[in-house]
Amino acid sequence: MSVSTNMIAEGELRLRLDRFQWWALAAGGLGLFLSLAAWSLWPEQFWPSYLVAYVFWVGLALGCMGLTMLHHLVGGSWGLVVRRPMESGGMTLLPLALLFVPLALGLSQLYPWARPEEVAHDPQLQHKSLYLNVGFYLVRTVGYFVIWLVFASVLNRLSSDQDRRADHRPSGKLQWLSGPGLVLLFLTGTFSAIDWLMSLEPHWSSTIYGCLVIVGEALATLAMMIAVVVFLSADQPMAEATTPDRLNDLGNLMLTFTILWAYMSFMQYLIIWCGNLPEEIPWYLRRTRGGWQWVALALSLFHFFLPFFVLLFRESKRQSRLIVQVAILVLAMHWVDLIWLVVPASSDPASPRIPWVELPLSLVAMLGIGGLCTAFFIGHLKGRPLIPLNDPHLNEVIEHAGGLGQR
Amino acid sequence: MTHRDPESDSAAEASPVLAPGHTYGTVTDKISALVLVRPYNWRWFLGLGVGFALTMMLLLAITVLLVHGVGIWGVDVPVMWGFAIVNFVWWIGIGHAGTLISAILLLLKQDWRTSINRFAEAMTLFAVACAGLFPLLHLGRPWVFYWLLPYPNTMALWPQWRSPLIWDVFAVSTYATVSLLFWYVGLIPDLATLRDRAKNRWAGYIYGFLAMGWRGSARHWHRYRTAYLLLAGLATPLVVSVHSVVSLDFTVAILPGWHSTIFPPYFVAGAIFSGFAMVVTIAVPLRAAYGLHDFITTRHLENMAKVMLATGLIVAYGYLMEAFTAWYSHDPYERFVQLANRPFGPYAHTYWMMLTCNVFIPQLLWFRSVRTSALGLWVLAFFVNIGMWLERYVIVITSLHRDFLPSSWAMYHGTVWDYATYYGTLGLFLSLMFLFIRFLPVISISEMRELVHETEQDQERRAEQLSTEGTVS
Repeated sequence: MSVSTNMIAEGELRLRLDRFQWWALAAGGLGLFLSLAAWSLWPEQFWPSYLVAYVFWVGLALGCMGLTMLHHLVGGSWGLVVRRPMESGGMTLLPLALLFVPLALGLSQLYPWARPEEVAHDPQLQHKSLYLNVGFYLVRTVGYFVIWLVFASVLNRLSSDQDRRADHRPSGKLQWLSGPGLVLLFLTGTFSAIDWLMSLEPHWSSTIYGCLVIVGEALATLAMMIAVVVFLSADQPMAEATTPDRLNDLGNLMLTFTILWAYMSFMQYLIIWCGNLPEEIPWYLRRTRGGWQWVALALSLFHFFLPFFVLLFRESKRQSRLIVQVAILVLAMHWVDLIWLVVPASSDPASPRIPWVELPLSLVAMLGIGGLCTAFFIGHLKGRPLIPLNDPHLNEVIEHAGGLGQR
Repeated sequence: MTHRDPESDSAAEASPVLAPGHTYGTVTDKISALVLVRPYNWRWFLGLGVGFALTMMLLLAITVLLVHGVGIWGVDVPVMWGFAIVNFVWWIGIGHAGTLISAILLLLKQDWRTSINRFAEAMTLFAVACAGLFPLLHLGRPWVFYWLLPYPNTMALWPQWRSPLIWDVFAVSTYATVSLLFWYVGLIPDLATLRDRAKNRWAGYIYGFLAMGWRGSARHWHRYRTAYLLLAGLATPLVVSVHSVVSLDFTVAILPGWHSTIFPPYFVAGAIFSGFAMVVTIAVPLRAAYGLHDFITTRHLENMAKVMLATGLIVAYGYLMEAFTAWYSHDPYERFVQLANRPFGPYAHTYWMMLTCNVFIPQLLWFRSVRTSALGLWVLAFFVNIGMWLERYVIVITSLHRDFLPSSWAMYHGTVWDYATYYGTLGLFLSLMFLFIRFLPVISISEMRELVHETEQDQERRAEQLSTEGTVS
C-alpha cells in the first residue's frame, strides 16, 4: 500500500507551490498597497468593499474549520484529499485577525449605529445601543477570533500528532472535540454574521440570517477546496488520491450546499415578501431596484440554477476540468452575493443605485487580503504531509477500497 | 508503515449493523416467521385492543363533531387554531423520519438504515394518515373538502393560491402518495417471499396478489432497483418541502412569534427530531418483543441518537435565534411574545416543559452510555415526543391568545373532544402499527439478504488484505 510515503509536497509540486506562493504574496502586497491608496482617495466607498473582501476570506477560513470538524464527526472518503488543505485554510485566521484592525478604523463609515450624530436622533438606535456600540462590537469580535484561533490551532496540532503516533489517542480527541466545536463555531459564525453584516442595516433583522451566511460560506469553501485539490492533483501524491469518486463526493456536497443556500435565500425572500412589513421590506427594496434587480437575477441564475443543473449530472462531477469551472463560478457568485448583501445597505430604499466605483475597489481588496491569505495558506500546507497518514477513519476507507487510489 | 491491528480501529470497534453468523436463510426465516409462523399471543391482542378502543373513541369524537360542528372544540376568538393544527403539525413531523431514513439515507449509502427503514416508512404512512384528518375535520364541513382542489365548477370557486394552506393540500397529498408508493414498491420482493413460504392457502393467495407476479428474475430486480432509486430521488426534496410549507402556514402571517424567517429550516429539523424519537419509541419495544437484537443493533440505536442530538441542537438554535432577534430588533410585540408572554405568561409552564423536553434533556445524548442504552434512549425519546407536541402548542396558542388588542385576550384550553380526537388518532396509529407488525415483514427481508452478502464480501476482502500485508512485512 502506498500510504507508506511521507506525502509531503516535493519535486515539481513543491516548485509550483513556491512559485504560486510568491505570486500570491506579490499580489497581496500590491493589493494592500492599492487598498491603502483607495482608502485615502475614496474613504466612504472603500470600507464596504473592504468588508466584502474581508468577509469572503474569513468565511472560507471558517468554512474550512467547520467542514474539518464535520469530517471528524461523520468521516467519509472525501476527507482524505481535503483534510490538510482545510486545516491550513483554518489557520489563515491568523493573518485575517490582523487584517481586522483596519476595519476597526472604519466602523463609523460602515455602521449607522457607530455614528453618534445619527444615533442622537434615532430612538430605535438608542434602544439598540446596548448591543450595537463600538466597544461591545470590538469585544465580541476579539472573542470570536480567540475562540476560532484556539480551535484552529488545536485541530492542527492534534492532526499533526496523528501523523506521528501509532495509537489513536489524537484521533479520539479530535472526534471528541469536534461535536462541541461545531456547535461553538455555528454560534460564533452566526453572531459574527449578525455583527459584521446584518447590523449594516440596524433597523432590520431576520432570524435565518446567520444560517444563510454560514451556508454560503460552506458552499464557497467547498468550491475553493475543489479548486485547490485539482491544482494539487497534477502531481503525486494527490494525483493518486484524487479519484473521480472523491471528486464526485465533493461535487455532491457542493450540490447539497447549493440547494441549501437557494432554499434558505428563497424562504427568507418569500416570508418577507408575504409579510410586506415596513421594518422588513426595505432590505429587499434596496436590493431589487436601481440595477440591483439584475444582480439579484444573476444570483438566482448563476449562484443556483446553473451550478445546480450542471452538478445534477454524475459525469460533470467526475471530470476535474468541468468541476473546477463550476467551483470557480460558485466562488465568483459568492463574491457577488456578498456585494449584494453589503453594498446596497447604505443606500436609500426609495432610490438605490449601484455604485460602480466600489467594484474595482472590492477587487483590489480581494486581491490584497486574498493574496496574503493564499501565501500563508501555501506556506502552511507545504510544511506537512498533504494526506493525513494515520487517521483511523481514512485508513479504513483506504483499506476498504483496496488502496489509496482505488475507488 | 506503522502496523495497525484492525480490531482496534474505531470503525471496527463500533457494533455491526448485523450481528455476525447470519446467512440468507436465517435472515429470511427469522423475519418471515414473525408473520407466517408465530402464533397470535395475548400481548399482541392487548396492544391492538388498546389501539382499537382508542380508535373507537376517535370515531365517536368525529361523529359528535359532524353533528354539532367545531364548536365542541376549545377554539374560539382569539385562538382559532387549537389542537387541530397542533396535532396536524406534530403528526406530519413524525412522518419525516421515515422518509429521511428510506430516501436520503439510501442515497447516502448508509447501510444501517436497512433494518429500520420498513417500519419507519410504515410509521410515516400512518402518521400522515392521522395528520391529514385534522385539517379536514377543522374545515367545519369536511364533506366538501374537495373545494380545496382547483377544479372547474359552476360555483366559480377557485382556491386562493397565495395561501400556504392550499400549498399544504398539495404538499401533504404528494407526500402521502410518494410515501405510499415507496413503501409498497419496497415491499414487493418481500411479499413474494411470503407468498412462497405461506403454508396457509389464503395467505398465499393474498400475498401473491399483492406481490404482483414478482418472480425475482434479473430483469425484475433491474427494474425494481431503478424504480426504487427514482422514488428515493423524488422523496428526498419532500423531506424538506413538506414541513417548510407547513411552517409557511405560520410565517406568512405577520403575527409576532409566527413571522420568523428561521421557521422553515427549524421546522424541518424539528420534524426529523420528533420523527426519530418516534422511530426509537417503536424500535426499542419491537426488538425486545420479537428478539430482533441481531438486526436492530446498538449501532442503530446510537446512530438514531446522534441524529436526534444534531436535529435537537438545530431546534435549540431556532429557539435561541427567535429570542435573540426579538431582543435585538426591539420590536415591542415580538419582545412581548418571545421574552415576556411565552416564558413568564400564563402558559409559562408549557414553555418551560417544552424547553426541558426538547433542549435540556436531549443534551444527555452527548454521553455514549445514554446513546447505547436501549431503555435510557427510549425514555428520552418519549420526552422528545412530548416536547415536540408542546412546541407546536406554544407556537400556536401563545401567539394567538394575546393578540394586538388586549380587550380580546383570552385563555385557550382543549375540551374533552379535543383530547378524545387527539388520543383517538394515537389509537388509530397504534392499531395500524400492530396490524402491520402482524401481517407484513417489519424488516425488509430482501435488503437484509443484501446486507448479509455485503458483510461477507467485506470480511473476505479484509482477510485477504491482512494476509497480503502479512507477506509484505
